[in-house]
Amino acid sequence: MAANYWESTQRRHWQSTREQLDVLRKKLEDEDQNLVQMYPLAQLRHLSIYFNQQIGRLAKRLGVRQQAMATAQLYIRRFYSKVEIRRTNPYLVIATAVYLACKMEECPHHIRLVVSEGRTLWPDFFSSDTSKLGECEFFLISEMSSQMIVHHPYRSLTALQGTFSLTQEESVLAWSIINDQCMTDLPLLYAPHIIAIMAILLALVPRPNQTGAQSANNSAGNIASAAHAALSSFSQPKAGAPEKQGGGARTKLQRLANWLAESNIDIEAIVDCTQELISFYEVYEQYNEKLTREQINRFVKARGLDK
Amino acid sequence: MSNPPSSGGGPSSVSASRTQTLKRSVQQAFDDPNDRGVGPNMGYQSKVRVIDRYKVIGFISSGTYGRVYKAVGRHGQTGEFAIKKFKPDKEGEQIQYTGISQSAVREMALCSELSHVNVIRLVEIILEDKCIFMVLEYAEHDLLQIIHHHTQPTRHPIPPATVKSIMFQLLNGCQYLHANWVLHRDLKPANIMVTSSGEVRIGDLGLARLFNKPLHSLFSGDKVVVTIWYRAPELLLGSRHYTPAIDMWAVGCIFAELLSLRPIFKGEEAKMDSKKTVPFQRNQMQKIVEIMGLPRKEQWPHLVNMPEYAQLTTLSASSHHRNGGSSLEKWYYSTINSHSASSIPSSNASLGSEGYKLLSGLLEYDPEKRLTAQAALNHSFFQSGDKVSANCFEGMKMEYPHRRVSQDDNDIRTSSLPGTKRSGLPDDSRPGKRLKE
Ligand SMILES: Nc1ncnc2c1ncn2[C@@H]1O[C@H](COP(=O)(O)OP(=O)(O)O)[C@@H](O)[C@H]1O
Ligand SMILES: [Mg+2]
Repeated sequence: MAANYWESTQRRHWQSTREQLDVLRKKLEDEDQNLVQMYPLAQLRHLSIYFNQQIGRLAKRLGVRQQAMATAQLYIRRFYSKVEIRRTNPYLVIATAVYLACKMEECPHHIRLVVSEGRTLWPDFFSSDTSKLGECEFFLISEMSSQMIVHHPYRSLTALQGTFSLTQEESVLAWSIINDQCMTDLPLLYAPHIIAIMAILLALVPRPNQTGAQSANNSAGNIASAAHAALSSFSQPKAGAPEKQGGGARTKLQRLANWLAESNIDIEAIVDCTQELISFYEVYEQYNEKLTREQINRFVKARGLDK
Repeated sequence: MSNPPSSGGGPSSVSASRTQTLKRSVQQAFDDPNDRGVGPNMGYQSKVRVIDRYKVIGFISSGTYGRVYKAVGRHGQTGEFAIKKFKPDKEGEQIQYTGISQSAVREMALCSELSHVNVIRLVEIILEDKCIFMVLEYAEHDLLQIIHHHTQPTRHPIPPATVKSIMFQLLNGCQYLHANWVLHRDLKPANIMVTSSGEVRIGDLGLARLFNKPLHSLFSGDKVVVTIWYRAPELLLGSRHYTPAIDMWAVGCIFAELLSLRPIFKGEEAKMDSKKTVPFQRNQMQKIVEIMGLPRKEQWPHLVNMPEYAQLTTLSASSHHRNGGSSLEKWYYSTINSHSASSIPSSNASLGSEGYKLLSGLLEYDPEKRLTAQAALNHSFFQSGDKVSANCFEGMKMEYPHRRVSQDDNDIRTSSLPGTKRSGLPDDSRPGKRLKE
């Protein structure tokens, strides 16, 4: 239910395996082979990065907080697991998801304001007609079966902060890792607490040339190598006596490892999450914003989806 | 992904229409952008049509948001249904998509998420023709109706076992809501449904909301919360913090009403003035004070911090209870014994002192001391006497009249009556913060 992840619609209806997700997406592409061939698009992770950037721009103009952005991102991810992207105007979908997420996260904005900000941000791709956004809201809610209450890892992170005595800096880093995973499929694959633990783990792993807490995606390489380190530390959990050396973070890491060993949390899941994030950060390096944007803009214009 | 096409809805017709869409889109993927999707030339089309799935058999009620209809399934869905239809705003003559109101969004989201025997069950939500149709299980009765029935033709009490069962089920539903961080905020007899098999279902989550949302959410801007007769004293005194205790006060009022068959604190609402400032509900507070006495800071430490604290002194003059003494106990015993003088056997006298203790625990001034739903469920009231039945009608000889269903408006698709208040503007929006760039 609402506060109970285990009985939530998120766990019951919106959590799947990678294979199931692949099948779903393959099916969408197969249904629209022509479209897919005519309008090649960057890989999904790059599209996600692009969407995230656009959400960020809109959110900034509206003064929307992070949690609502994460909700919007999850709505979009759910939506595009059911609807072929080339059939939609992604800018409209983004604005609608933000509009709806703000209502759900108790920071509502008037539809007219959202539309006018959308117009300002994407003048060539966004209609000034508010009823377009209203219509898209129906589409979005319908594809989500009205299941709009979502659970994010932020709450688990807040709850676990104390357990692992995270410093301010470590918490901020874990928080930004959680922000980053919104651009991956992880929210469709794993429970929020698993993702939160993964984020804490990565925040605790000592990094080479650590430059403090900055948005994790600015230091993708760093995080990736840290994640590798974390994974290897998991494969020989009790090896050596790292607690004694390296100070705070290392001891905490050991504590986390022990805590995990005693809990019935699925270590495999955490390893898998970590890997997913590493590959995301790797892919991030090849992200080409201009190309991604042009590809999207092309089908939106060619198909008249902006009208 | 195991997500059904619509929450809980029978998938048969849905998947049929889906394969149809699928076939079509294979042929015309490119040529026909109309079959599915958003955008200019491709309007949103519901995959399911209300009239294909349900046969409307009558009209139940109309409110500010739209109307409620009674329906049966066309595809062998078991039982009867209540379909709550939300209408969109009209802009000029044409119905437009204007954005779904925040309260409707909350109601849709919460109803989709909740699942408990004592909370009304959502069958599915259909978004079609710019309207929202919430399909709910049908409940034959509600507490307003039941209470009313006991005043006709003369007053005769609701049997004690029924009162006990209703209260237990109502508290059980509240406990579930509160454990899941949901505040109902509009508990009153009209919103408490009872099925024909005597199961209580909390309905109308139109004002409900989650209270675990961080930041300003508990400090809400919505102006009107809870019908005034059931409004907790801390709200009347200007508190803007919503807590489960607010629902518990309303439950206390409902308990009292089940016993006396009339609202215990029947105040007159002071209307908002032209400046849209929320007025102090003097008359309502007065009604409470008349029975409960004036609240005192010894019994409610935070009382002095209430925004409208100063207003209380203006009440005391007209109060019968200058010393702050409560006459709730007197009210209770005279109520439960009032019918025993007559020849009617089913007096509520058997509810005894445990009933008083529960009532006074719910109608406790200090929200922090007020009984929680869980504590009320564990109350000795439910342990003493006969076992509480899960069917509140158990052992009853009579049957309550069925819900009135009228025939004059059966057309769920075209009927155009009221219903704009709950759409359009986000109902509790604050002036939007905008970051400087
Ligand atoms: N599930 C239901 N079964 C039968 N009648 C219902 C049901 N839900 C609502 N109603 C009737 O419709 C009325 C209005 O519904 P409600 O959900 O309370 O909306 P609102 O109070 O916001 O107008 C109720 O008071 C009740 O008479
Ligand atoms: Mg109602």
